[in-house]
Formats: sequence, C-alpha cells, structure tokens
Amino acid sequence: MRKLCYIPVVAIWIAIFSVVGGVDRNNFKTCDQSSFCRRYRAMKKGESPYQLLLNTLKEGESDLQVSLINIKNVVHFNLKLTALENFDFRLEIDEAQPIKQRYRVDYALKGEPATRKLVVTERTSESITVTNGHNKAVLHASPFKIDLYNGKTLMMSLNAQGLLKFEHYRQKTEKPAVPEGEEAVEPPAPVDEAEADIGAWEENYKSHHDAKPHGPSAVGLDFSFPNADYAYGIPEHADSLALKATTATDPYRLYNLDVFEYELNNGMALYGSIPFLIAHGVEATAGVLWLNAAETWVDIEGGAHKGSNVVSSIVNFVSGSGTPPPPLEARFVSESGMIDAFLFLGPNPETVSKNYAEISGVTPLPPLFSLGYHQCRWNYNDEDDVKSVDAGFDQHDIPYDVIWLDIEYTEGKKYFTWDKIKFPHADDMMKNLSLKGHHMVVIIDPHIKREGGYYVHEDATSNGLYVKNKDGNDYEGWCWPGSSSYLDFFNPVVRDYYASKYSLDNFWGTTLDTHIWNDMNEPSVFNGPEVTMPKDCVHYGGWEHRDVHNLYGLTHIMSTFDGLLKRSQGKLRPFILTRSVFIGSQRYAAVWTGDNMAEWEHLQASIPMCLSISLAGMPFCGADIGGFFKNPDSELFYRWYQIGAFLPFMRAHSHIDTKRREPWAYDPETTSLVRSAVRRRYEYLPLWYTLFRHHEVDGLPIMRPIWYNYPKDKSAFTIEDEFMLGKELLVHPVTKSGLTEVSVYFPGEKDLWYDIDELELFSGHGTKTVQTPKEKIPVYQRGGTIIPKKMRIRRSSALAKDDPYTLQIALNADGLASGSLYLDDGETYEYQKGQYVSLVYHYDGTTMVSQLVDKEASFASKSWLERIIVMGVRKAPGRIVLKSQSVGEQEIEFAFNPNKHLLVIRKPAVPIAEEWKLFFH
Amino acid sequence: MSPNSDKEEERVSTTTKFSYPNMQTRHLFITLSCLVSLQRASSVEILRPRGVSVTKTSLYDPEKNFTCFDGSLTIPFVQVNDDFCDCPDSSDEPGTAACPNGLFHCTNAGHQPMDLPSSRVNDGICDCCDATDEFDGQEKLGGGHCTNTCQEMGRAARELAQRLAEMQKRGAEVRKEMARKAAELKASKSSRLGQLRKDQEEAEALKAEKEAIKKQAEELETAALAVYREAEELEKERRAQLSKEENEKEAKSMFELFDADKDGRISIPELMTKQEFDQNRDGQVTNEEARFFLNQNEEVGEEAFITECWPRMKPFYMMSTGKYIPPGEEPNTNEETEDPENFEAAQDDDNILAEQTEELADAVETEETPEEDVDDGEHEDEEEGDHDKEEEDSDHEKDGEKSFSEVQYDAETQRLIDDAANARHEFEEADRALRDVEREIRQIEESLDKDYGIDGEFAALEGECFEYTDREYTYKLCPFDQVTQRPKNGGGDTRLGTWGHWAGSESDRYSNMMYTNGQSCWNGPQRSTKVELSCGTENLLKAVSEPNRCEYKFEFETPAACHISEDASSKGIHDEL
Repeated sequence: MRKLCYIPVVAIWIAIFSVVGGVDRNNFKTCDQSSFCRRYRAMKKGESPYQLLLNTLKEGESDLQVSLINIKNVVHFNLKLTALENFDFRLEIDEAQPIKQRYRVDYALKGEPATRKLVVTERTSESITVTNGHNKAVLHASPFKIDLYNGKTLMMSLNAQGLLKFEHYRQKTEKPAVPEGEEAVEPPAPVDEAEADIGAWEENYKSHHDAKPHGPSAVGLDFSFPNADYAYGIPEHADSLALKATTATDPYRLYNLDVFEYELNNGMALYGSIPFLIAHGVEATAGVLWLNAAETWVDIEGGAHKGSNVVSSIVNFVSGSGTPPPPLEARFVSESGMIDAFLFLGPNPETVSKNYAEISGVTPLPPLFSLGYHQCRWNYNDEDDVKSVDAGFDQHDIPYDVIWLDIEYTEGKKYFTWDKIKFPHADDMMKNLSLKGHHMVVIIDPHIKREGGYYVHEDATSNGLYVKNKDGNDYEGWCWPGSSSYLDFFNPVVRDYYASKYSLDNFWGTTLDTHIWNDMNEPSVFNGPEVTMPKDCVHYGGWEHRDVHNLYGLTHIMSTFDGLLKRSQGKLRPFILTRSVFIGSQRYAAVWTGDNMAEWEHLQASIPMCLSISLAGMPFCGADIGGFFKNPDSELFYRWYQIGAFLPFMRAHSHIDTKRREPWAYDPETTSLVRSAVRRRYEYLPLWYTLFRHHEVDGLPIMRPIWYNYPKDKSAFTIEDEFMLGKELLVHPVTKSGLTEVSVYFPGEKDLWYDIDELELFSGHGTKTVQTPKEKIPVYQRGGTIIPKKMRIRRSSALAKDDPYTLQIALNADGLASGSLYLDDGETYEYQKGQYVSLVYHYDGTTMVSQLVDKEASFASKSWLERIIVMGVRKAPGRIVLKSQSVGEQEIEFAFNPNKHLLVIRKPAVPIAEEWKLFFH
Repeated sequence: MSPNSDKEEERVSTTTKFSYPNMQTRHLFITLSCLVSLQRASSVEILRPRGVSVTKTSLYDPEKNFTCFDGSLTIPFVQVNDDFCDCPDSSDEPGTAACPNGLFHCTNAGHQPMDLPSSRVNDGICDCCDATDEFDGQEKLGGGHCTNTCQEMGRAARELAQRLAEMQKRGAEVRKEMARKAAELKASKSSRLGQLRKDQEEAEALKAEKEAIKKQAEELETAALAVYREAEELEKERRAQLSKEENEKEAKSMFELFDADKDGRISIPELMTKQEFDQNRDGQVTNEEARFFLNQNEEVGEEAFITECWPRMKPFYMMSTGKYIPPGEEPNTNEETEDPENFEAAQDDDNILAEQTEELADAVETEETPEEDVDDGEHEDEEEGDHDKEEEDSDHEKDGEKSFSEVQYDAETQRLIDDAANARHEFEEADRALRDVEREIRQIEESLDKDYGIDGEFAALEGECFEYTDREYTYKLCPFDQVTQRPKNGGGDTRLGTWGHWAGSESDRYSNMMYTNGQSCWNGPQRSTKVELSCGTENLLKAVSEPNRCEYKFEFETPAACHISEDASSKGIHDEL
C-alpha cells in the first residue's frame, strides 16, 4: 500500500533525507553491504575447486546421486539429478554430512514434481551422460560442470564459469584473534574464504545487528546459455523487461522488501521475489528455477546485453569485432538453504512456461467479478463515503465490480475488527453492494497489534503463534498499529487459526461477497533492518527467518485462501490480492506492483513490471491506476485507465494525502474518457475470462512480451512499450504526455493486424504510426483470431451474466480464423465438475462452426449469440444460413461494408452454449 | 398531463415469455387505457413501444419503417425493440438493453417519470418504481420480482415535497425578515457614514488648527527653555561627579569589610565566606562563584576592586541585603534546558504510537495557534498598540515634566511651558478624535462592501458562530469570519480557514462559501473549508466531513438560503399524465 510511516524516527528521517522524494537507498543494502554477496562476487572464474567422484554414482529409478567434493577444504556434498516428467532436469546439491540440516523450500511447488525414468547412456572416467527423452545431461567430473542438451542443441551449462559455491555449516572456532593469514591449528576444521570475511559470524547494518549463530552458509552457481541473447524474469524489479548486464552495477536482488517510493530502472529488491529466469535467443529458449527462499542476488552478463556493459563492448571493439560475444550468463547466490534448481530445456518459450507451471502451479480461474474494474483508495472513510462513491458510478454510468477498504476501516488497525463509528452497519453496507452485483475487498495485514484485550493478540500470545526473536521471545516490531508481532504462518496451527478468523461467524460485517487484500506481507516492519524482520528471528521448526524470508508472504496468502475457501464450505472461488510474492503465489492470489507514483515513467514501468511477473508464472498482475503517491493530472489519469483496461488486474488506488480521484473527480471530458476505457474492459471481459481459463489449463502467460509469441523475431526482444494478450490482441498504450501519435511495431511476417475501434485492417508486418487522440487506445486484433465480447455494458459484471455475446473475427491472409469461448457460473467450483461450456470456433469463408471442446461438460447459460463481426472479408456473401439443433435451419440477416471489408451478421440468436454451423452462400 | 394521475392505469400487453429473442414477440408495446377525469366518458388508447415517453410516441409509428433519429438508417418497424441495436444513435431500442447509449423511459404513474440508461433494462435491479424496466421474468438480485411501488413512493415524495415546500416557505419568510433587517442596518450605516464623512472634515480642520497652535507654543517654549537647559547640563555633571565619589567611598568601605586579613588584597577564600555571593543559592559560595566576582583573578587590590569588582558585586550584595531590585527578570535557565531534553526523549522513545505522532504534529500546530490568532486580530492590535504607545509617551512626558519641575522656572517661562503642554494635549485630542472617525468609516465601508447575498440576507449571520461536534472534534463556523476545529479531549483551536468568497455555481452563487488559508497541515496543504448552504428554518450546522486531506466540507442550514420560486414550489409534485 502506502508507506508514509508515522513513526517518529522514520518521519523525521524522511523529512531530512528525502527532500527530493523517491527511495532512500541508504535504507537498503548494496551487494557490498551483504557479506555473502560480497564474498560471491569476489570469486574468480575458472578456479572451481569442485570435483565429482564418479565412482560413487548411484542410479535410482528417476535420478542419479553422486558425491561432489570441494578439494580445497575437503568437504563432501551429495549431488542428485532427477529426470522430470516433461523431460527437464532437477539438480539438488546438499552437504553430505551437515552439522545442521539445511533448509529445503516448502510450499512453493504445486506438489512433488512428477518424474520419468533416467537413463545413464554413457560412463567414462571423465563424465557421465544421462538422457531424459530427447533431452540429455552430461556431468563432467573435473572441473565439475554439467551440460544440458535439447536434442543436439546445448541449452545451458552449469558451473561452466567455475562459480559454484557451497559454504558448509561449521562450528564457530573460538580462536583468539589470530593474525590474518595464519590458521588456527586446532581444531583442524576445513577452512575457506568465508572464514576470513568479517561478516561471516555476525553482521551489522545501520543500527541493526544480525547474530548469525550458524555462520556463513551461502550457495551459488553460474548458468550459461550459449544460444540466448537476453534473460527475462526474476521479478520483482522496477526495471526493463530484458534484464540488463550487471557488470557495472549491483546484481538484481531478490529479497521481499517494503520499499518506500521505489525508484525506477534498477535491480533493487522490491516486494516480491520469483527466482525464475528465462534465457531466450532466436534458436532456443531455456529456463531456470532457483528454488531458494533466502536473500538472493542474480548477476547477468554476456549475451546481447548492452546496458551497463560498457567495458566489455569497448574491449570487444578494441580487440576487433570478429570475436563472438560471450554467452549469456546468470549467476544466482543465496544466503542459506541448498542448491535446488529446475532446468527447463525448452526449446521455446511456451514449453518453458508450460513445464514451469507444471512444477509451480497456475492461477486457478478467478471469480469473474475480479476481472472487472476495482475502485480503491486509502481510504473510503465511512459508510456514507462508500455509498456516495457507489452512487457516483451509477450517476456517471460507469461500471465497476469492487470497492475496497484500506486499513482505516479497522478499529485501531486491529484486523478482523471494524471501526464501529465509521462503519456501524458494515453488514448492511455489504448487502446493499451485493444488491447491485458489486463486491467489496477489505484489507487484512499479517502484523498483529500488541494490545491487551485484542483477541487475536491474546490468542497468539497464549498459544505461541508469533514469530520468535533470537532469544526465543515473541518478536516485536512496528507497523501500522504501532507495536506489533507477526504471526508465524510456517506453523500449520497458525495457518488454521488465521484461516478460521475469516469465517463469517467470526468476521462480523463480511459476507461471501467480501474478499481480501493481504498487504505488508514481506513482512513490512517499520523499524526492522531494511524495513523487514531481522534474519535471526526464528520460525516454526527452528528455521531462521534468513532461510525462509521470501516465503513469508506466500504462507500468509495460503492461510487466507484456505480461510476464504472454508467460509463458503469450499464452494466459492476466493479473490486475494497480495503484495509480496514468491514461486507459487500465483496459485492463491493476484499481485500488483505496489506503491507506484503518479508519474508517466511509472505508467511506462507498469508494462515491463507486469510482463516480468507474468513470465515468472503470475498472470494476474496490475499497477495502481493513477499512481499511488502524488496527484496525476487529467491526461496521466485517463491514459492510465486506458492501460489499466488492458492489464490483467484493473484497480485504481491512491494515497490518503492525495486529492480524491474517482473517475468523475476531474472535468466531464476526463470522466467520459475514463468511462470509455472502463467500458472497453467490460466489453472484452469474455476474452479475459477465456484467457484466464486457458492459463489454468495450459499454464501460459496471459500478458506476453511480443517476442514470446514471435520468438525468432530479434527486433522484438527488447520491446517493452507494447505487449500481447494471449495471441489475440496487441496493445501499445500511450505512455507519454502530449503524444498525438505512437509508433507501433506489428510482428509476424505474414500477420495482419486490425484496429478494434475502426474494425478494419490497419497494418501488416512492420512499424506503423497511429494517431492517438485522447480517446485512442491503440489495440489491434491479430488476423486469424476470433474474440468473444459482450457489447452490453451493465453496472457490474454480475448483471451482464445472461447478456448475449458478440464474436469478433479478424481474418488472416488466407481468410481463415479460429478462436474460443469459455463460460461458467463465474463464481463457484462447479466448473471443475463439468459445469461449464468451452467452445472453439472456426471460420473459413464458406462456413463457420461452433464446437464444444468437451461434450460431457455443460452449463445452462441464458446467453445467446447477438452478432458476428468479420473483419477482412473481400466479398459480400449472397446469403447466410444458420443450422443448429434449437434453431433448425434459418437464414440470417447481415450487412456488408465493402470499404471496410466488414461483415456484420445480425442476430444469429442461437443459444451461446450450443453447437452450430453457418453457411455462406 | 392530468393531475388525477392516481386513477390512471397501465397495462402491458406483451407476452412475458422470454427465452431467446428469435422466439420472442418482435415488438413490445404498452397499451395505455387512460381513464381521464370525470367529465370524459370515453377512453383513449395510445400505443407506444416499450421505453418510449408519450412525447416521443409519434416518432415510433408502427405503420411505417423506422428511421434512426440521426437519420443514418431506416429499418423495418419490426426491428424496433427487437433486442438488437441497429441505429448508431441507439434510437431503435428504447425498450431493451441492446444499444449502448439508449434511454429507457418509465412512466411511473403516481410518481415521477424517469429516463434511465437502457443498459439498466432487465439487469436484475428494479430501477423504475412501476417495475417496467424489468420484464424478463427473471428473479431479481435481492430475490423475487419487481413490484409497482409508485403509489407509495409518489405519496412519500409528495409529502416530502410538501414538507420541504412548507419549510421553504417558512424559511423564506425568515429570510425576508433577515433581508429587511439587513437593509435597515445598511441604511442606517449609510446615513451614519454620511454623518461620519462630515465629522471627518470637521475633525481634520480642527486637527490642523490645533497642530498650528501646538507648533507655535512649542517654538516659544523651546526658546525659553534654552537658557535653563545649559544650567541643567552643569547640574547633571555635578551630580555625576558626586555619585562617582559616593560610589568610590562605598567601594572602599566594602573593600575594608571584605578584606578580613587586612592585607590590602581581597582573595577568593575571603569572598567564599560571604553568603551574599552564593549566586546559585546552593548554600555555598564556590571557588568559581568567588572567582567570577574577582573578575577571574585570584585576588585583587583596592583599585581593581573599586573599578572592576565592586560594580559586579554590588547588585548581588544589595539584593541579598534587600536593597536592590533587579531591572529585568533573570532568564529561567531551567526551562531552557528542559525543552531540548524532552525533545530528545521523544525522539528516542520508540514506544510512541504512530497515532501519537500525529497528535504530536497536531500539538505542534496548535501551539502555533495563539501566535496566529495574534496575527488575525491585526487591526485591533495595531490600535491597542498605538494606544499603549500614547500612554507610554505621555508617561515619559510626565517624567520629563517632573525632572523639569525640579528646576524652578520664572513665571513667564513656566507659562510658556504650560501653554505648550496644553497645546500638545489639545492637538492629541483632535488627532485621536479624527482617528476614531476614520476607524468607524473604515469599518462601515468594509461592511457595506461585503457581499451578504442578493438581498443582504446573510448579513445577520456575521458575528454569530455555529458549532457541530463529532466524536473527536468540535467544529465552529463563524460566517464571514473563520472556521475552526477544537479537539474534544482538550487542546487549542485549529483554524480550518478564514472567510474567502462565495463559491456556488454561476447560477447559484450563494449556495457555497469558501474559507481559505487555514493552518497548514503537517506535510500537506493549507486547510480550507467549503460550506454548503441549504434552506432550513433555523441556522444549524448539520454535518462536517473531510473528503480530502485538509479539505473540509460543512453542511449548514439557514433561512437565508431559502428561495421561493415557481420552480421550487412545484418541483416534486408533478406527475406525467
């Protein structure tokens, strides 16, 4: 949410240091200030001390295990390589005889990954070769290295640079100050460079002390991608879509943090961390999932990277342009845990996404209302305020689905309570919203106010439900309520307890139409190191916060999801918005890009940020429309709505100190522009819903970079001012002030692109300028697609339930098109029992058919087919005849516009859930 | 339109069966049997498509093809209200939700007719009280079906309108009285102003006259006194010499008194025995304290004592022996050190809640209040200040007179002095009289310039204040002056704005007041308040809210806002048909 912390120290600090506004970098660590990052960066390439002991090889059904030794300190490790079901591999490296167990990430994966038989095809004294279907792995013994192939193509190499690092757990040697360089003779513990680091056994950052009782424990590994030009993913950063080389900057950091007024164009950590990276080139696409929940830094180097890699370009230039660029490299290092990496061998973006989704899960079909427009503000003050905002939407004839309440609705920031003076009739308020098909989302944060008499605090105190500090007492930090403690969601008892708080009996004022916003779950601790929890805090199972930090938010939303599910006896799909994310968060919640700013640059950044998050497996992403901090002017405001209408999650939000900005807060023209944008959203809601269903089935992103659909198009690799929705729509929003035109890149050698406003062909392949008057949102339908729409705009999505559909067809160069439509009740899980309709449409110029994908499934929809729009028709048909079971055979009226090549088929009026066929004579 | 609308009936002559539109009756008509008034025996049948108002009925003629209102298309009449939008201007589907920008008309017999976006037709919400917008037979969102509630709603609306009209009427009478009083007041002020302007002229003349007299008398006085002034200078010198000698004598005797060992020097130990030099009253004269009086020397001789030390000691010595009263208060050093300590403590104290910080910020603001209040009362203060200064001046003159009176003047000189004093006094009287007149003129002009509404009806509100209390604050509106807020649990006023300007729309300028330039918010803008005025029989501050941070909205009822117009009186009781 917001972060003008009213803590004295912070407030004063802000006043003094952040005169200009924007993030205070002093508040967050650099790599150099993080001892393990510093140590890792100090390593030299090509000096790997690790070797495989090939004679220790043990073959399992789907895996092999072999010993790995660090010859410098003679520490042994177990390496395990597993063949995954989709022909990818999983690599795990752990200590052979640890003095303390290393943390193995829980919760993030969908389940235990399915495996296949691993076949050892070759053993030499130097290497072992194994295959998994058409994919192959070659393990080299000395120096240790793994090469991974898809067919004959080398997709990636591990430890090719020799930057594998595994700091084993060790006893702290209570040696008196030994002069540097000299080693303590006794005990003869293995020694490595970690010992020498002053941050090895304790670290200080600003006024915070990290006790580090277990000493150094970092793990790191380099991945090379010889066929890749760019790396993508590893959100969340306010940076470009294509990751930049980090040779002259800090690495990208993954450590969930509440960053006040974050800055653009750098790799600083933000609210979420998804250590999934896609390396992409014309020939091949591969992916790496680095399954580690500790603080992680990622260095990027080589490939086609420009950016900050000035030095190497100069070197290349001086040494002659003949040398090929060094391969793209990504180096991950984490503070603790083990090495556990999933290696996706592609060879194309869709295979990588699909297989990654098999491992980490997908976003289940959201309730339909959550794809509508959300109206939020910190804060809608009271019942009257809510009522008048709701009335404002009716008065200005703008649809909306959800109104939100931020923290001020609670009694003293005690979650699961209401301020009874501002909201004395919360239950009635909720019912009145429901009567118009609207929903409400209220905020619930994970910090708990330490106040006697507050039942959650008392329960948590007496039952030991809080995270403990290093001394074993309940950890106390500062957040909205003042002194707070933090529920330990790693404890299943806590998750169950918390889930039960969402029951309608317990949470007065809520109904089944109330959904939840889980904010501040990095966790945010105003007075903690880097505004979060100290790493030496202790969680359930004795794990240090250091080991599990990036998982905290995930465990929080898991509990909320469970609670919402249980309160409807498992009938209704929950909607949750979370700020902190990790691998797997997509299974429970939508995400937004946090506390952005009312500036054009932030509007621009919302595209690459959500694209990166989408590539990392979280499709339900959005950015605060209007910008959270500061006041947008009218132009920025309506342009933001125009983008927002085409991002998966569409919510307007604003800081408490900003001026009111409901859609009608500006002049009538702005209101009308906003109205049009919101209506566009509702018009295309059937497409959105269908795309989300596709995602649930195939795991592919909904919002995609251009290159994702056109992987061989090199010119698209760094495009981040336009994107695609599925394979249907190309969106190039206006993201700069005063633009009267934008230059749109249309990919695909043979593809045709149709303007969805004009309903006519706009462009083939290439770059074309489009005029952008105020009302223009440059959105294009790809030739060859069929899009379902609803052209009747109601006050909420629920009210349009039975409304008829329009099919919008854009023909490709061959005059063909196909598409699909998915529909169900929009709110329950009945669809999982076959209560749905999924249709495919094919158009070939002489016929058009509607076919059920799953004939067993059915859903009693009252909707019907209102019209079919066909763009790109050369010649008017003589007559059109419809044939279906319920209608029989019937001639259908139509209109043809020869100038636009537009055919509009009037009122086929066949039930939408039916199969039918059109004949063009 | 007939006033006897209660008796009218509406009958819908369509099949209510609704499944898919191709199976549906193609056009939906409403048949109205109008049983109009007693003197008409026959009934008239009007056929009009669903969602069309009587006034537009002629545009939908079933006998002809239908042409879209914008003329862009002509379609067979069966395509009107056939649940498919043909016209770009939405005119062909007034009775269905098919068109994006259509309007659905509900007659709402017994209540007010209404035009509704046609997207609200058959959406599951009962919008029209006659239930005509929901005809698909589907269950509605709250369960059940829509029913015709126009009779009850109409009755309630008429009763409400009646009450409002009565209130409006009563309020308007009060307003009239307020306006009349304001006019009277204005007239009396205007006439007073005329009088004052005359007075001003006279006073100016008188002042000039007195000034001339004063000038003349003072010249004479100055000349006469020149002689005496010289003698006086000499006398002053003589006295200074005398006093110096006395001091030295006193110092010498003190020197002897303090020089306990009679060695001709005074040392620190000697002083440390004298409790008079215990500056900090801790019961002890410390080395440092003693050293201070010896001008940082270990010991001093007689000469140095007389010139350097005694002048330093004397006030303390005399004070402790009760002979001396210091000229000003000593600075309270305790207070000075306390504040920063508290501040630091507050800073360090991690245990302050976020809310408390806000309170702290508020407290800081309210601390400023007295100062700002001083600023507000600028005029008064200036005047008071002038007054004080005059008094001081005259005191000073009295002192002068006193010192002069010590000197014996000859009778002629004394006469000139007295004459000059009289002349001065009379001039001051004249000057003061003129300023009084000018001040009153200024006040009256200001008030005559102020915009108190069309008929000056708001003038009566000036000088009065109205309060509203919610759970945290008491808000106070003093029209044409300022708006303030005071925390209920104690603390000073925070100014939410001072009178700025009328801020209603062009057609209704006097419906809103703006109070601007309030105290600045912590980390935010200056506070401001918009006061929305509505008609009421009494002055009443009804509600206060803060829709935007530091922008307040007051709702204020006053008879001054009651207008009687033909529109207002008939509004709300008019029905169609």
